[in-house]
Formats: sequence, structure tokens, C-alpha cells
Amino acid sequence: MIRYILKRLVLMIPTILLTSLLIFWAMSLTGGDPVMTILPENATVEQQEALREEMGLNDPFFVQYFRYVKGIVQGDMGESYVTRLDVFQTFMGRLPMTLALGGTALIFSVIISIPLGIWTALNQNSWKDTAGMIFALFGVSMPNFWLGLMLVLLFSLTLGLLPSGGSGGVRYLVLPALTVGLGLAALITRTTRSSMLDVLRQDYMTTAKAKGASRRRVIYRHGLRNAMIPIVTAVGMQFSYVMTGSALAEKVFSWPGIGLLVADSITKRDTPMVTGSIILCCILMAIINLMVDIIYAYCDPRIKAQYSRKG
Amino acid sequence: MSDNILEIKDLVVHFETDDGVVHAINGLDISIPREKTLGLVGETGAGKTTTALSVLNLVPNPPGKIKSGSILLDGKDVLQMSDSELEAMRGNDVAMIFQDPMTALNPVMTIGDQIAESIELHQHISAKESFEKAKELLKMVGIAENRAYDYPHQFSGGMRQRAVIAIALACEPKLLLADEPTTALDVTIQAQVLTLMKDLIDRRHMSMLLITHDLGVVAETCDDVAVMYAGRIVEIGTADEVFNATRHPYTEGLFNSLPNLHERGEELIPIKGLMPDPMDLPQGCAFAPRCSYATEACTKAVPELRTMGGTHYVACSAYDNPSFCLRRNANG
Amino acid sequence: MSQKSTNNEGFSMEILKQYRGRSLAQETVRRLFKNRGAIVGMIFLIVLIVVAILSEFIFDYNTQIIGMNPLALYAAPSAEHPFGCDNMGRDILARICYGARYSLLIGIGSVAIGLCIGIILGSLAGFYGGVIDNLVMRANDILYAIPNIMIAVVVVSILGTSPASLLFSLCISAASSLTRITRAAVMQIRGQEFIESAYAMGLPTWKVILRHIIPNCLSPIIVQCTLAVGNNIISASSLSFLGVGIPVPLPEWGAMLSDGRAYIRSAPWMCIFPGLAIMITVLALNLMGDGLRDALDPKLKK
Repeated sequence: MIRYILKRLVLMIPTILLTSLLIFWAMSLTGGDPVMTILPENATVEQQEALREEMGLNDPFFVQYFRYVKGIVQGDMGESYVTRLDVFQTFMGRLPMTLALGGTALIFSVIISIPLGIWTALNQNSWKDTAGMIFALFGVSMPNFWLGLMLVLLFSLTLGLLPSGGSGGVRYLVLPALTVGLGLAALITRTTRSSMLDVLRQDYMTTAKAKGASRRRVIYRHGLRNAMIPIVTAVGMQFSYVMTGSALAEKVFSWPGIGLLVADSITKRDTPMVTGSIILCCILMAIINLMVDIIYAYCDPRIKAQYSRKG
Repeated sequence: MSDNILEIKDLVVHFETDDGVVHAINGLDISIPREKTLGLVGETGAGKTTTALSVLNLVPNPPGKIKSGSILLDGKDVLQMSDSELEAMRGNDVAMIFQDPMTALNPVMTIGDQIAESIELHQHISAKESFEKAKELLKMVGIAENRAYDYPHQFSGGMRQRAVIAIALACEPKLLLADEPTTALDVTIQAQVLTLMKDLIDRRHMSMLLITHDLGVVAETCDDVAVMYAGRIVEIGTADEVFNATRHPYTEGLFNSLPNLHERGEELIPIKGLMPDPMDLPQGCAFAPRCSYATEACTKAVPELRTMGGTHYVACSAYDNPSFCLRRNANG
Repeated sequence: MSQKSTNNEGFSMEILKQYRGRSLAQETVRRLFKNRGAIVGMIFLIVLIVVAILSEFIFDYNTQIIGMNPLALYAAPSAEHPFGCDNMGRDILARICYGARYSLLIGIGSVAIGLCIGIILGSLAGFYGGVIDNLVMRANDILYAIPNIMIAVVVVSILGTSPASLLFSLCISAASSLTRITRAAVMQIRGQEFIESAYAMGLPTWKVILRHIIPNCLSPIIVQCTLAVGNNIISASSLSFLGVGIPVPLPEWGAMLSDGRAYIRSAPWMCIFPGLAIMITVLALNLMGDGLRDALDPKLKK
């Protein structure tokens, strides 16, 4: 198992390199001329040229890219054109805010959705199932930034219960976390329900009943652990949803996380900030995906065996 | 107390689907004497598995529904039992061996745990003790004890079926329901598993309902044979009666479709047509449309089981004519 | 019968189908029409498409859709303006009707392009395996590691904000998920015996893929497409909301929401109605997708 994890970590390197190449290339096409952004408007052509030379912008593309990769390894991803602050440190400074938002949303949605999914599956075709499924269907069909705005309208502007934006204290976290969490809960509820329904039909459930196990025991001891496999995958796959959702929620609520950082950097054409943030997000996603796979192996002995065999 | 471990009377089971009502079992009567084995023979779709699940009151509901009838297990009606009575009965008094060993085992539990679960549930002993017992059971079905820590995916098909048998036998049930226990296995493994089952049943004085479509298996293992068609019994009797004095045209058809190793040149005579749609059964005898002896009368009324002497019963209206005789018997 | 056959043998759909003598397509359509949700979804989508086409003739683009109407600034919903008016005095209902075309075209268009790419790459990867499979799937892994919205951000910042670049950036994610699904389906079908028998009849490979493999993979692909259209409509409006989607003053729903955000205190209807429009459209697509999935996969039925 440990060898498997190490192997995966090694395999991550080319993926990250390629991803960063792609993004670096794409952003170098779009970035415009940073010199114009940095220098005051009345700068002379000589001053511009000197700055270009100093920043290495006249070097061939691959030279620039390798310099950049070398930087990544050392935790140095350049400076923001706008604030002149270190990209890596700015990103890391904002990361806890996004993790707090995404984490709260994820925990909140898992707590709601897994019991709800199981409950609807067990009551299939009853009004309880229908009610749960309608909730989930609305949840997945709603753009979550709109949900955020509606929550602001209701809780902040109409009822005056919660702040409509900014950060500081748990009160500020409630609405953004709800915004991300409700859509996520709806998604996971749907997966949990269909995975549970699938498991309920399996032959080994009949075997367990035929042994004389009670309904409760059959569902929780035999059903749930099997159903957890696709649920864990689904939750794992939703991390990119969590990030996207958080980015939008951050914009709606001015929550100073990575999403807002990227959105602001795009408007300000702050290329190193955008490039660095996207690459760091990808590394983050790769690590999260690996963690999901490890949990996955814990749930399913077949996969665990596969991992160990492959080494 | 009755001499029969199991008596099924007038059982009717329907599956109510969106597309219509599937008439799976339409008035079934069978009984199994103590320490005897009854073979239940029939094509896929005849309602054999549903019969076995009914005995455990485990017909999937919805869509399945036991409409009427009674299933007396040791004189007590399974269909009237409370949930806790059912749980106490399942696995303890009656156990079932499932058709497909590849899907019948829980993929995320070790084999040992799955066998031990049954013991733990019914004998109220500690998890550790039951696991030790599970190991013994594994040894009994011919699997090394240390494999108890393995998961089903590490077992071959034959080994899995042995494990399924070990689960079924864990609490020494009085009645074993074996649903095509060998169909999913290789021929060589089939013989091993059958011998093993027969041996264990004899030693423990158990009764068995053996469901199969393989007449060879029936001849090998069963005391009595019941032939099932479209949810009804068409012929029932001792193995000797049914094999050597076949009465029902359908049973005759089954025998004629069987290749004969001794007379290799002999032509196979298949039964023409397909099983009728269980949503739309024909009036009268369900077999009539495929029967070469069928007359006008056959399409009018469902034939009742009638005795042909002793324990041999057949449901065929052709015997209204006292001189009627199947070709098979006429030639022989 | 197959290994997956259920315990209740009298209940096997395969057998029932033989008796009924209906083709799979007919059977699917029949089941789809029995699903109330799917019907509601379909009717709504048809109405929406009709509205999107007719609005071309009903409204005058320059005055009603992007023009300014100083008399009706921030007008609250009334009989004359059922959804109210925005900061430029434009009728929100008219803008939503007109804007339906962007959401529909981008949603459907991006998935259609993604589908072509996904089917080709997915069936090549699934069918041939080996190097091609590795190449396609590693490339896919990279796309998979980047949240869709980030890909879109990158693409839009190269190509600039326009409906076309939005379409292109969204088709990448659709192509990625459809490649995955096609590959998985093809790999599953490829191993089955009827494919070998098609070869045994002497069909060339491309015909085997086209005639035997792809038709058998269609159900998961169709379902995924329906759901992907809904997803992409949401993504498109999210991008507009972030300011990297469709440029103002085009009445795209996400862009309208983004405009309305600043006036949420004074004119909340500027936020409420475009969002409702997105939600109901995506809801209709999801209802249809769920209906299709249930209709195509009889195993899932009660």
C-alpha cells in the first residue's frame, strides 16, 4: 500500500509538469504586456526594454518555462504584477479561507446527504422518496451563485440575520458554506440513493436475509459498506465542484479565498498570480484525488488487493 | 407433528410490475417428508426460485406478492410468522444455497465473517467462537481453515459455492433449499459439490428441496421429483415413478431433449415453442400450445393433479381417456 | 441468461422483451412517455426553444433588448412588466426570452462538439487500448485534474470574451467526460462475444465500431449528454457571472444576474428571474436525463 502511494506520488510529477506547461503556455499567450501594467504610463521605451530584460521576458519560451518550473520546486512562483507580493505566499495565505469554506460545506453536505440518500432509497417509491428526490433535483439544477444571492436576499437583506459578505467569525461563514453545501448535498444525495438502490438489489443482500439477519443489520452491515464505495468516489469527484462552487461563493460573498484571488487577478490581468494559482490548484486537486483513492481502497478489499499487487 | 418437514398448499405468487402482472406461481402444492430430498425440475421461468424464496418468505416485495396459500414448516405457517419469528427461522431452521456463487457473497466481508455471522445470529455465542466454528465449517466443505480470512474475490467459483454451502449448513438447518447449486460451476466441480452436499445431508439427517433443470442431477440425488411448468406442478412422484413411468407429456419432452450417451445415434426430440408469457398465460393447460397430444379439451380447463397409483400424481386431462398412454411408454 | 440475472427468474426483462416483440428503442420511448417528470421536462424545453426562436421576431433587439428606457428604470414587476425592469429600464421578461438562445446554443452546442470529439477519442482509446488509450487517457487525466471553470477561464482569457470562446471552452469539459464514458462503454462491449461474431462475419474494423459497438454504448452516452447540457448551461452562466463569459450588453442569463447583483437591495427582481430561468431550464434537462436513464436501464426500475 505504501509503495502504491509512493508510486502515485511519482506519477503525479509528469502530470503536474504537463499541466503547468499547458497553463504557462496558455497564459503567456494572453497575458498582454506586463511591462505596461507595472511601469507608469510615462515610462520611456528604454525603461520598458530594461524591465523586459530584467524579467526575462525576451528569453525563448522554454527558457522562461524552465525558469518557472525551477521556481515551483523552490516554492518561488514569481511576484504579482499588481501587488508585487510573492505568488506562492499570497496563495498559501488565502488557502485556509478556501479550505475553511470548502471543508465546512463538504462536512455539512455529507452530514445531510448520506442519511437522506439512504432514507430515500429505503423508502423507494413512497412520498418520502419523492420529497427527497425533488429536493435533490432542485439542488443540482440551481446555479449556486444564484442560490447565494437568494440567501443574501432572504437572510441578510430581508431578515437581517446574517452578514451579506466579508469575513471574520463563524457568522460570516454560514451563508457561503450553505451556498456551496446545498448544491453539493443534492449531488451526493442522488449518488447515495442510486448506489444504495443498486446494493439493495444484490444477491448477497438476499443471502444475508436468508441467514436470518434483521433488516437493520442487512442494511447497515452488508449494504452500507458496499454502497460506500461509489459514494466515496462521488464525494471525491466533487472536490472540483467544491472548488468551483467556492470560487463563485467567494465572489458573491467577498470571501477572501483563492476563488476571489483568481477572479480579481483575471480582471487585473495579473498573469503570474493567475498562472501560479491555477497550477497550485491542480497540485491540490491531485493530492486530494490520491487521498480519495486511498479511502477507496480501505472500503473495497478488491481494490486494496489490486493496489498491493501492482505495488 | 406431521411427517412432512415442509408442506406448501395452493401457493399463488404474482409480480406486479408496471407492464402487467407476472403470474409466477399459480397454485402450487408440494410437500417434503423428513430426511428426504425433493427435486424440483423445470425450465427457466417456471417459478422454481420463487418457490424457494417463498419458503423463506423472501420474495422481493415490491414487486413480488404472495397472494394466497400456506407454507407449513414443521406445522407452522411461514406466511403468518412475525418478523422476529422469520428472522429466527431463516438460516436456523431453513437455509438456502443460491444459484450464483459469484454474486451471493458479500464482496467486502471475509468468508469467515460471512459464515460466522449466521452462527452468531442464531447460537448467541461470541464473535470469536463463531469465527472458530466458521473455520471448522470451511474445513468440512474442503477448504483450508486459513482461507477464512480471505475475501470472496480471492476464491474460485467452486470454492465460493463451497463457502455458500458452509454458510447454509452453519446452523444445521432442518431443511435446505438448494437453488441450482451447481449450474454456475464447471462439470467436474459440479460432481464434487453434489457429492459433498449429498454426504452432508445424509450425515445430518436434513431434508432438501433441490431446484434444478438438470435431470441427471435429480436422478443422482433425489428421493422424490416434482416437475414444474408455468408456476404449476404437472407431475410429482418418487424418482423411480417419474423417471421410469413418466406420465406427463412435458416430462416426456424433457427426457426426449436429453442427449443419450449410450445410443449416440438417437435423434433428439426438442419441445417445440417457448414457455408462455407469464403475464399472459393461455387458458386451460399452460403446456397445451406446445403439447403434441393436446386436444380441444386441454384449452378449456386447467387440469387437476390426479393420482396414477401410489404417490404418483399428474396434471393432464389426456388421462380422462383410460387408454391414453405416452409414446415413450408405448414403445418401451 | 446472463450472469447478472436476478433471483426472480419469472421477472427477467430480457425474456419479457422477447415475448412482447418490441425493439429496444420503442420500449425506451414507451417507458420515457410513462415518466411524468420527463414529459414535463420535454414540454418545457420545446416551449423554450420556440420562445427562443420567436423572440427574434417579437422583440426589437436595439430598443427592447439592449436599448435604454429611462421611463422604466428599476420598475418593479407589474402587469406591463411581469418580471420588472433593470437598471437600464429594459424589460427583464423580454431579455430572458431573448437570452434563452445563448444558454441553449452554448449548452447544446458545446455538448454536441464535445460529443463528436468524445465519441471518436473514447472509442479509439477503448477499442485499441495500448498506446492510444494511454495517450488519450493521460491527456484526459490532466483535464480532469483542473476544475472545469479554470479551463474555461484560461481559454476565455486567450480567445477573449465572446459566445464562441465560451462555447469552445465548455466543449472541452464535455469532451473530456464523454471520452471517459465512451471508452468505458466500448471496453465493456468490446470483450463480448457478438463483437467477435461480427468479425467472424468478415466486417472491417471501422464497420464493427460504427455498427455494433457504438450503438450498444449509446445509453450511457445519451444520458450523460442530457446532463452535460444542463451542467454547461450552469457553467456558462457562472462564467458570465465571474465576468469571463458573454460580454455585456448581451442578455445572457448569467450576465444579467451579474448585472443585477449590484442592485440586489433596490431591485431584487433583476437577480431573481434570470436565476429562476437558469434553474428551470436545467431542471427540465435533468428531469429528461433522469427519465432517459430509467427508460434505458430497465434494471433500475422498481
